[in-house]
Amino acid sequence: MLFFRSEEHVRRWCTANRHPVRPIVSMEQLWGLSAIWYATRLQADSRRPQPEEMRRIFGGLGLTGDFWDPESDRFG
Amino acid sequence: MSSHDDGLDLRVKVALYRRFAETGRRPSVDQVAADVGAGAEAVLAAYRRLFAKRVLVLDGDGSSIRMAPPFSGVPTQHVVESNGIRYFANCAWDALGVPVALHQSATVRSRCGESNEPLTLEVGPQGPGPSTWVFHCLVPAAHWWDDIVFT
Repeated sequence: MLFFRSEEHVRRWCTANRHPVRPIVSMEQLWGLSAIWYATRLQADSRRPQPEEMRRIFGGLGLTGDFWDPESDRFG
Repeated sequence: MSSHDDGLDLRVKVALYRRFAETGRRPSVDQVAADVGAGAEAVLAAYRRLFAKRVLVLDGDGSSIRMAPPFSGVPTQHVVESNGIRYFANCAWDALGVPVALHQSATVRSRCGESNEPLTLEVGPQGPGPSTWVFHCLVPAAHWWDDIVFT
């Protein structure tokens, strides 16, 4: 999970390393993920989101499809 | 798992996260044991249960904390400075997660995964502000924990 200067940098990196290009996430979307995922992490009652919660979190940020489905088997 | 185990796991989780937050460094087993008033073996057993719950990841020695997301127990390319303390994050996502978890403003320093161009983000309560940089995750969500260190 890396930062890239632009989408073009992602494509160059994936080509050079023979990786598939995955969905590109904006900084605004990434902040949304972090803000939800880690807001209560230092609290005693914090817990990792369960699959259905994960789908809601991702979907709320426009991150949809099999790639973001925590239970998808499409990718083997 | 007994309710005693649940109680110890919770105390261990709170203690190790407090140590990370206060120092930016992973605590030793002995430090956590002292914090929770338990023996080292009991803490190691709690670590193993917390790994099963995807709360933390241990190094190959089976006792050092490699990851307690968003904190990394080892140096990484994702460095976060907040309130005079330097933290390492496990990945780009976690780099923004550190100030969120701490509820503090922070400076995030990382780099482009392709060109190594440095990235500096000033992160406040509303996030890092407009940026044309992007985030890319290679591993599908369903497989993140197949090898979470690689992910």
